[in-house]
Amino acid sequence: MAEARATILVVEDEPEIRRFLRSSLGAEGYRVVESASGRRGSIDAQTHKPDMAIVDLGLPDVDGTEVIRHIRSWSAMPILVLSARTHEKSKVGALDAGADDYVTKPFGVGELLARVRAALRHAVRGGSGGTVLELEAATVDLERRRATRGGEEIRLTPIEYRLLACLAKHDGMVVTQRHLLAEVWGPTHVEDTHYLRIYMKQLREKLERDPVQPRHLITETGVGYRLMLDE
Amino acid sequence: MDAKGNWAGYAWAVGATGACTLAGFAMAPRFDLVNIAMVYLLAVVFVALRYSRGPAVATALLCVATFDFTFVPPAGTFTVEDVQYVFTFAIMLAVGLVISRLTEDARAQAREQARLEIAAETERIRSALLASISHDLRTPLAVVSGASSSLAEGGERLSGEERTALARSVFENAREMSEHVAKVLQMTRLETKAIEPDRDWAALPEIAASVLRRLSERLASHRLLVEVPHDLPLVRVDAALIEQALANLLENAARHTPPGTVVRLRAQPRGGELVVSVEDYGGGLPDAELERVFAKFQRGATEPSVSGMGLGLSICRAIVSLHGGRAWAERIPEGGTAFRFTLPLEPAPSMPAEATVP
Repeated sequence: MAEARATILVVEDEPEIRRFLRSSLGAEGYRVVESASGRRGSIDAQTHKPDMAIVDLGLPDVDGTEVIRHIRSWSAMPILVLSARTHEKSKVGALDAGADDYVTKPFGVGELLARVRAALRHAVRGGSGGTVLELEAATVDLERRRATRGGEEIRLTPIEYRLLACLAKHDGMVVTQRHLLAEVWGPTHVEDTHYLRIYMKQLREKLERDPVQPRHLITETGVGYRLMLDE
Repeated sequence: MDAKGNWAGYAWAVGATGACTLAGFAMAPRFDLVNIAMVYLLAVVFVALRYSRGPAVATALLCVATFDFTFVPPAGTFTVEDVQYVFTFAIMLAVGLVISRLTEDARAQAREQARLEIAAETERIRSALLASISHDLRTPLAVVSGASSSLAEGGERLSGEERTALARSVFENAREMSEHVAKVLQMTRLETKAIEPDRDWAALPEIAASVLRRLSERLASHRLLVEVPHDLPLVRVDAALIEQALANLLENAARHTPPGTVVRLRAQPRGGELVVSVEDYGGGLPDAELERVFAKFQRGATEPSVSGMGLGLSICRAIVSLHGGRAWAERIPEGGTAFRFTLPLEPAPSMPAEATVP
């Protein structure tokens, strides 16, 4: 595995949380660099050039969002946010500032590692996800704009293809509503969230085995959507 | 009484005296002076009942002066010919003082009563909070410290399987405590109105799917039936809050009904509202409990040992009423309880139609 020896920068002020991140990430074969403050994190990111960063949003010295902006100003490394706040706005704020995904505290290590893997995989591929999506009940070829379900051809609209392509580009990671609306409908439609609700419903009807309990087109309530493909 | 109330009182003193004088003029040709005095007395009583002592005394003095000047012979002077009118004046003043005093006492008593009631309610919530913290946090804390200390001190003597089981119970109990704390904080925020719902168009099936995904482990012990039509109309809500309200209902059902029983999640539009229901088949609550379970820190009276701070349902109700909906519980004929809430439906926004790719 190419990503197994990846270096991960952990920016977190709580020593106990750093300790368990160090041991669980270390057990998976990652090299861990720790920063106990936001300022230190911004510096360590430049000196250590890690493959990805995990940034706590509730840092005492600077807002985690500032650290994200700082890293984003010179690097495209994946950034995963640890958010203790239940408020969705702070997550969306961090994602808008350039973070790629988030995990809400308290979290299990399984969830964290899945996010880390998705982020690193995405970085390695350079954001060009596979163009053929193998879903539980359907197969979609994004490049040829062909979709089949149970051997039968099904039809998606151009917007449905664009929406699915945008999610597939970030597969496994959350994509904010604003991002999806801007990318698919254009910057003048970033407030038209009902477009997303309606189109996600259509996509689930066409592609999911059970559209009410979807396996692939996942809602992150108040934040955005996530395309989950089987690992 | 505050200054503003006092000014209104003095205004009433002048107004009432004027009105009595007008009435007095109308009565004078046919009534005894004593009866006109009674009308003035009425004004004194009226002001004394509504305002504090100052306006009451002012009314009495004004009434006495006006009555004397206008009606008591010789009219047009403050001279009093008949000594009995001095007696009338004394009575008027006394009535004003006595009534304003009585009214003030009654008001003070009512204020004290209200203060005591608030204090009693605060005390009740505080002791219920303490009781629930001691039960709902102390038990898992004991598990966490016990299990983790056996891991830390005797880890190498335990089998791999035992170690995993201990570690897992630390994880589960810690997560439970963290959820409890989050609920207490959330209830406090809702009570102090620190939450402003961030409304947006949302699809209830998406909210339901997200909840079911999040609670899949917790609900695995029950037989879950989901009857949420995929084409429900959109609602304008704070989706994260509604997700929490729904999660609390489902958690409540899983926690308070026996494993293996059915939990049914339903949603349907009905008369301008969306009705969301979580129905369980756990035997049903007694009628007296149906409303009581929504009170803060209340769990079913019959099952004090089941954990859960009993905050879930009151949080659900607070969130739903923040959105202009209602939340309630009712018995269902098959021997269970339905917890329902409504969300108002608004005309859906339009969106441009699109043709499919050929």
